[in-house]
Order: sequence, then C-alpha cells, then structure tokens
Amino acid sequence: MTWSELAESFRFATSSLRGNLLRAVLTTAGVVVGVVLVVVMGWTINGLDAIWEQTISIIGRDMIYIDKWDWAGGRNWRKSMARKDVSLRQAELLSARLESPELAVPLSRNMASITLGNTSMRTMIMGTTSAYGATPAATMQEGRFFTPVEELQATNVVVIGHGIANLLFPDGGAVGQTIKIGGHPFRIVGVVEKRGFLFMEFIDQQIFVSLPSFRALYGLQGRSFSVAIKAGSERMMDIVRSEAVGVMREIRNVPPGAPDDFAVNEMKAFDTQAASIRLGIWVVGLVLTGLAFLVGSIGIMNIMFVSVTERTREIGIRKALGARRSSVLLQFLMESSVLCFVGALIAFPISQAIVAAARWIAIDVADFEAATVVSPFIQLHLLGIAVVVSIVVGILAGLAPAWRASRLDPVEALRYE
Amino acid sequence: MADAPIIIDIRHIGKVYPMGDEDVHALRDVSLQIREGEYVALMGPSGSGKSTLMNMLGCLDTPSSGSYVFKGNNVRDLDDDDLAAIRNAEIGFVFQTFNLLPRATALENVELPLVYSGTRARDRRQMAIDALHTVGLGERMHHRPNELSGGQRQRVAIARALVTNPAIILADEPTGNLDSRTGQDIMNLFGELWRQGHTVILVTHEEDVARHARRIVRMRDGNIESDEAVT
Repeated sequence: MTWSELAESFRFATSSLRGNLLRAVLTTAGVVVGVVLVVVMGWTINGLDAIWEQTISIIGRDMIYIDKWDWAGGRNWRKSMARKDVSLRQAELLSARLESPELAVPLSRNMASITLGNTSMRTMIMGTTSAYGATPAATMQEGRFFTPVEELQATNVVVIGHGIANLLFPDGGAVGQTIKIGGHPFRIVGVVEKRGFLFMEFIDQQIFVSLPSFRALYGLQGRSFSVAIKAGSERMMDIVRSEAVGVMREIRNVPPGAPDDFAVNEMKAFDTQAASIRLGIWVVGLVLTGLAFLVGSIGIMNIMFVSVTERTREIGIRKALGARRSSVLLQFLMESSVLCFVGALIAFPISQAIVAAARWIAIDVADFEAATVVSPFIQLHLLGIAVVVSIVVGILAGLAPAWRASRLDPVEALRYE
Repeated sequence: MADAPIIIDIRHIGKVYPMGDEDVHALRDVSLQIREGEYVALMGPSGSGKSTLMNMLGCLDTPSSGSYVFKGNNVRDLDDDDLAAIRNAEIGFVFQTFNLLPRATALENVELPLVYSGTRARDRRQMAIDALHTVGLGERMHHRPNELSGGQRQRVAIARALVTNPAIILADEPTGNLDSRTGQDIMNLFGELWRQGHTVILVTHEEDVARHARRIVRMRDGNIESDEAVT
C-alpha cells in the first residue's frame, strides 16, 4: 500500500461524500453527539481542576494541620474520638518548638452567634494568634489582621471572612464597624479575601479572633486545639511533617512504637476527594459517550452498507482495473473515517457554544463565582482527542461494510444493476 | 504471426456453477491459444458460454477444470490479489456500458488503473493525457462522463484500457450501446490499435462487428464450435 494510494483513497472518499453531502451529515448525528460529549466532559473536568487548583493554592499546598481529628477519616472516626484533646498548652508548645517550618500557629474553632443590629447569624469562629495573618489563608481584602499587642491585651477585635462581610455589609465598609459575638462587642479590623471555591465556601463564612479573646468567650474546657503549620514550600513538607510528628509525640508522651495519638492533616486529604469526583464525572461521561458512539457507529455502519450496495458496480469496475482487496478495504475504511471526522468537525462549534453558554450561565445567572477561573474555550488537546476517537470509531464502524466490499466477486459486481 | 509468442494458452477448461440443486456447465471443454498481435472475435448467442470465457480470459474468474496459462502464469494457482495484479498490468477492459466512474473526470477515470499499479501521481497524469490523445479526446479530459457522448465515453474507456500498456485489450460488446456510425468509429479505433501492435480480443454477437477481426472463434453450448481466420 503506497502513500499515493492512500492519498487517492482519501480523494475518492471525500468526493463520494460530497456526492451525498446531506446524507453524510445526517448520518454523523450520533458521532456528533459523542464528540460533543467527549469535548464538553473534558472541558468540565479541566474546569473543575482549575477551580480545585485555585482553592488549594489559596489555602496553601504547603499547609500541615496537627489535629485531634482526621479530615479525611470517616473510618478513623472512633479512633479519633478516643484520643485525648490537644490542649492549648500542647498546641502552643508545638508551635514554639518547631524549627523547620516557616510558621506554626495554634488555633481552635467554635460555633459563634454574631449580631449586627437586628441581624443574627451563626457562624464558625476561629481563635488563633496574630501570626496566622501571615498564612495565605488570611490574605486581607481590606483592613488588617489583629496585631500581637491586641492579642496580648485580648482586645475585642475581629477579622471576618469575605462571605460574612458580604452578608452583613453588602455595600462594603465593614472595617471599623462593630458586631456582637456572643453578646460582646467586637470591632472589625479586617476582611479576608475570598478564598472558598468549589465545595469550600464555608471557609469564607469564618471569623477570626485572638486566642485570649476566644478563651474569654468560650473557655478551654472540653476543647481541642490544632496547630496550623506552613512548611514554606512543598519540598519542605516531608522534613516539616517528621519534625512536627516527632515533637508532638514528645509533648504528648507517646511511647516509642505506639501509633500517633493525633492526626496530621494536609490538603492532600482533599485531593483524593477531588479525584473521586473527577472519576465520577469520567465514568458517567464515558458511559454516555460510549452509548452515543455506539448509536453513532451503528448509523455509520448502516450507511456504509448502503453505500457498498449502491456502489457494487463501481467496486466491480475498480476490481477489474486491478484494485486489490486491500485497496477496496482501504477505500471504504477511509470513507467511513472521513465521515466520522466530518462529524467531529460539526461537533466542534456546537461544543464551543455549549461551553460558552455553560460558563455564562454559571457565572452570570447562577452566580457561581468560582467558574471565572474556568477557560471559556475548548482546550486544543481535547479537539485532538476527539479527532482521534472519531476516526477510530469510523474505522471500527466501517470494518464490516468495507470487508464485504473487498470480498465482492468482480464478475458478480460488474453484472450488478 | 504464427511464430509470435503465445499469450493465452487455454487447455480443456470447464466451468461449473452450482445453481440450486443442479450444476450448470457454462464451459464444457474449451481449448484456445492466442498469440501476441492477434485480433480475435469471440462470437456466440447468449448462453453459449462466451461471457464466461471472456471472464476467464480477463482473469476475473478462474476455471473449475483444465489449465489456463496467461503469459506463463497458471491462473489456477493465483489468488485474488495476484489476479488483480494481472488484470491491472496485462488486461485492458472495454465494456458495453463503458463502466466509467460517474463522479470522476475523463482524466481521473483513465488514471485509475495507474493508481492501483502504484504509479507516481505526476507520471500518472502524463500517461493518462497521452492515452486520451491517442483516442482523440485530448480536448475533453476534464469533462465528466455525463458531459460526454456515448462514443466519447467509449473512447475514454479505451484510453483507460490502453494506459497501462496491457498485453491484451479485451472488449465486451464495445459497440452495443452506440449508434452504427459511432460504432463504426470505435471499430476503426480498435483496428488502428491492432495495427499499432496491440492484441485485441472482441466479444460480440454481431456478425459485421466480428468481421473487423482477423480470426473468429464461435461458441455454442459451452464448447468452441468453430475457429477460423477471416478471409
């Protein structure tokens, strides 16, 4: 089989499709749906990845949390429950003794009821040190984090999350206002930038006070503290983690050989969650795509059988002129894959329109702000995948008709009316 | 002529088609030798086996019994692709119904056998142009078959048969779909090709068409009835 024969069969294929353009286009409907599904699904996953990456990078991939509870641990719930609380003293000791990380701060959380005028709401309150203001999780939108002096003096100042600020002060100007937390007035000194993206909107609904204020509000009884550690870079994670574990075991007197009686949490815990969501989309998408391509390839196969029958005489002529079986096979395979490729070409603008519409609806209609990081265009590699898949489907769907064509007896074929 | 090399050497071939419970003997016992440069007409009424014999000669079909040696190759030993290669290189078909590809231009139709022989595109074009000039259609090579008259279509088909410079030109009722004047032109063209040295085999049931040849082989009931030179 030569290149020139390949080129010729491509030319024959396109000319025979042009001869039946409308029929060809209608036939590819199934393939069009399949390609649209592949492309839109790929775009969706890419988009979710982008949103996810955004979320993780805002919180910080280099963050380690030493906790009583495992984040990802449905299974470890009983084990976590049986652990002794991490006391404020232990958390402060660990924070002070760690040398390798950039930053380590103790913190604790509670539910708080906050009031502004007649508006009341319940939200998550975090007590921490002024050093927390240096983590990426506390990048300020306006104002500032509380200072070491305010912390030392237990001044009633509060930093609020983006979501809370939007709820209470839709017109802005939160900084300088006073809200009541558990009945006590606190002055707002800063608003944290929006950080919560997909599945993590709760992060924006937090408020932050200093540990002394937190202690004054809720006490220490029955409370477990965490230590947020910023390793400084992902490279440092292993070193920091092992130092943190070593120091914490020492502080909590864990005997050698016994398992840790605390949890080491990292953003990675959410990665597995994200991966399973991804997998879910893939599985659903693959099943739908598979169905579309199955239907599509049956359509292609059918029209190719029709085409072989219609062109029996032409096949006879070609064979009389010296076309080998492989030449005839190639010609019809070429035709069915070109047909599917045409389907892919039709599918591209449709996919792009769907993608653009989906993004517009997500952002402007559903107010899903996270979608802004998603690309408004189909990625090129998706087009590449779609082209390859459509051609493979074309070849598979064309196999049986092409095989039949290649086996036709030239005498019979020439006699065919 | 008598000492020219034998191209077609058929000895005692038979062809049986199973048809329902019965076997149909299309050819019973046919022997025939054709030498290079001959101009042979194969005649006979329908059902005489002349179409079957023509399919054998054109390597479109293989005999059930006997031997057919084409330019030294025993056709019974060849598989489909070998037969295709022989048809491509050695046999130029001309059909009653022209059998041109309707969507291709005259030039593309003539190029088609060269595509299957793997000839480079540039050479292919030139050879096809030359062949079209030979049959007097140099002016109309970018026309499609439906833009050509019957006689012109048959000329395209003859150019297509010539383009690979085959050992034989095998024409099956080449004037059957033409009016008598055009038919006469086409027969003159075959005569000219024969004089240039081509071997021409003509299948026909018309006596006056057969008279153009130099030798007439008459078939009846699957056998050769007579085989004589035209005087």
